[in-house]
Amino acid sequence: MQLQVPGPWSPLLGRLTLNAIPYENPILQVTFAVVALIGLVIVGLVLYHKKVGYLWREWLTTVDHKKIGVMYIIIGLVMLFRGFADGLLIRTQQVLANGPHAAGMLGAKHGFLPPFHFDQVYSAHGTIMILFAATPILTGFQNIVVPLQIGARDMAFPYMNAVSLWLTTAAAVLVMISLFVGDFSQAGWVGLIPLTELPYSPGVGVDYWMWAIQISSVGTTLNAINMIVTIVDMRAPGMSWFRMPVFSWTTLSTNIIGLTAFPVLGVALALLGADRYLGTHFFTAGMGGNLMLYTNLFWIWGHPEVYFLILPTFGVISEVIPAFSEKPIFGYVTMVAATFAIAGISWLVWLHHFFTMGAGPDINGFFSVATMLVGIPTGVKVFNWMFTLYRGRITYSVPMLWAMFGLFLLLVGGLTGMMLAIPAINYTVHDSVFVIAHFHCMVLMVVCAGFAGVTYWFPKLFGFKLDEGWGKAFFWTFAIGTVTVFSAMFALGFEGETRRLDWTFNTAWKPMLVVEEVGMVLYVISLVFFATMLVVSIRNRHKQRLAADPWGTSRTLEWLTPTPVPFYNYAVTPQVNTRDELAWRRKYGLENTKPDVYEDIHMPRNSGLPVILGALAGVWGFAMIWRIWWLAAISLVGIVLVVIIRSFDKNAGYHLQPAEVEAMERDLAIGAIMAEQSDRAHHHTHAEAH
Amino acid sequence: MAGSHSDPLAHPEVRQGSAMRYIAGFVSTVVLMGAALIVTMRHDLPYQSFVELVGGLAALALFSQATLFYGLDISRAQIWKGVSLILTLPLFIITVGLTVWMFQSLNQRTMVMPTSAAAASQPTLLQ
Ligand code: HEM
Ligand SMILES: [Cu+2]
Repeated sequence: MQLQVPGPWSPLLGRLTLNAIPYENPILQVTFAVVALIGLVIVGLVLYHKKVGYLWREWLTTVDHKKIGVMYIIIGLVMLFRGFADGLLIRTQQVLANGPHAAGMLGAKHGFLPPFHFDQVYSAHGTIMILFAATPILTGFQNIVVPLQIGARDMAFPYMNAVSLWLTTAAAVLVMISLFVGDFSQAGWVGLIPLTELPYSPGVGVDYWMWAIQISSVGTTLNAINMIVTIVDMRAPGMSWFRMPVFSWTTLSTNIIGLTAFPVLGVALALLGADRYLGTHFFTAGMGGNLMLYTNLFWIWGHPEVYFLILPTFGVISEVIPAFSEKPIFGYVTMVAATFAIAGISWLVWLHHFFTMGAGPDINGFFSVATMLVGIPTGVKVFNWMFTLYRGRITYSVPMLWAMFGLFLLLVGGLTGMMLAIPAINYTVHDSVFVIAHFHCMVLMVVCAGFAGVTYWFPKLFGFKLDEGWGKAFFWTFAIGTVTVFSAMFALGFEGETRRLDWTFNTAWKPMLVVEEVGMVLYVISLVFFATMLVVSIRNRHKQRLAADPWGTSRTLEWLTPTPVPFYNYAVTPQVNTRDELAWRRKYGLENTKPDVYEDIHMPRNSGLPVILGALAGVWGFAMIWRIWWLAAISLVGIVLVVIIRSFDKNAGYHLQPAEVEAMERDLAIGAIMAEQSDRAHHHTHAEAH
Repeated sequence: MAGSHSDPLAHPEVRQGSAMRYIAGFVSTVVLMGAALIVTMRHDLPYQSFVELVGGLAALALFSQATLFYGLDISRAQIWKGVSLILTLPLFIITVGLTVWMFQSLNQRTMVMPTSAAAASQPTLLQ
């Protein structure tokens, strides 16, 4: 029943031909050269330092939630960079291609990107930023922090955790491959229908988009199950529900959203896939199909998805603000209630993304009111943060700066969201860049939480702080860049600029487009500062001696472990006595007590199967995209085989003996005092090799 | 806590499964969903009975999966499964219910009506 696809197809290579490689495009040539160079340098360094075995043993096969979390964050940051490059291209094209007389180059009538290329750039930008940058970064924090915060040794399912990571990675790799083999979707991150149907998008672009999302969302769903079970089941003794830190609460609620929402996306894309591959007519414009059905399904997932991003963001901010205000969070119980209220309401509002579809005043009215209800719990949260700050002993350290700028963005983004929730307003600004500015305030709040989290939890994991001076330079350029770009964008929205324009025809927009570009320059500078911050911090890492709580004012349980956190987390499972356990222990001078007896610790063993599964899933996706049926069949059989092999593996794990644990703990304590990081790292890996 | 999760076979949920149940679940699901597919592709039932039949087959498939794969029953040991299933019901009602309501109104207002008389009596987008 295979559909006739336009262009050549061969049994061996499917739709793949040499023409799929865009070697005549100068922008992609340069990109490819840079990516290849970076790749070679990394591979070279690994080989030169003989780290292949180390990489495989300690990272690729790990089931340790902290390392998995770190890898999630690294992938997220790499993709954030890729998405930023796309954003830079979009902004530069729009400012260059302004008005009827704008010059054109590189095959474009105006500017330097022809529509064919430009449309791929913004589609990739949105897909990457939401699914492959923001989501992995937040998932990474949840992986790292939640087990520590609730006093657990690891996630409930360490092996499945690794599977989730590698599925996400495989999908991200597919998106990157689309740069150099074939092309990406031109139908936006939302998959504008019926543009995504085969007759209108006959190439492989939509297939790249569709399969990448499918594969990564399986990973996200598995991770959601893992997080929920971990929080329900793995809390340390005494960690009752209402002693749980707010970040863990937000993780729980966000993953309930993830678990219930992602299957809807999976179904919507599977139906689209049936249309594209089997010739069904679920969403076609004729033959009994209904394209509104797709839009509806997409946003049933899409709106909960944006809250899937914002709730952990709220969680990070709820950890950072109390730590740097030296006060407990104000209104803890209302904070938790507001979190769940937001999660619940997020299921009732999806239609606000298509008020203009024409469902009528009753329907638009209902969804408008439902949307505005979100403002109540969100307002509760904002006031709680404000009251936490009020009369606090505030330290303006880098994480705190990010958190406070996040609050500012929440205010602007939330209020413009309320405007958009009013159908009468929405009819005038829907599909204008006003909407783009609204949601960039929100997603940049997510990015702020990302950087707040990176700077806040970094010393806990790695044993040294990120440089404050460069961190502040990074923060200020980034924040000012954000304000510059997006205030101009709000203005352009009111001036009637619609979204996704490859040619900004109206010359009246020029001044604001230039302002936006200036903001982009600030972003580029901020990136330089970010890189400098990393280099300087890593170079100076030996100069610091950090205690269990490097900030001195943290409040929650994760800071009770030695710094950096040993691979077994807690030598002895802690007994939790109150909310903000560490603050309580500090008050009574109990934060450094050592256990009298050590018990043996049961640890899971590493496994190479998850990374193999991820690779097979990536190959399978590639084969489906190019319609190489034999390869798809082989990789699918491979996946099934790996799952079967795994099910016969009892994976009994291994036990650390009490004496070993005691020795390692002593080692860690001495290391912290002597600040001999390299020596300690040596002992650390040695112990891990058991 | 240590050791409690070392042997997956010790978990009651895992013990509950058996090869027979999985095979039965697989076969019944394939048969029921295959039947629905065939009915849909033949196009020979009147609309009303078609919807009833496919709806009935879907309900049966759901039931066989819930009992045979998921191991849902009303015993105390399985309470978490029951609770989590029930907690998703409101979401079903919200999403499916609001969708039906929305499409009804949307079709009335935007779709071409079968008879011209009906079309004339319907409000248009601009009204
Ligand atoms: C105070 C709460 C919020 C309200 C009332 C709100 C309202 C809205 C409305 C009505 C739209 C549709 C605009 C249109 O297309 O005409 C919209 C779009 C959007 N919002 Fe929000 N929003 C809120 C919070 C958020 C949050 C927290 C996020 C993400 C973290 C977010 C992300 C988005 C995105 C991504 C879109 C545009 C999707 C697209 O068309 O590409 N919003 N918002
Ligand atoms: Cu929304």
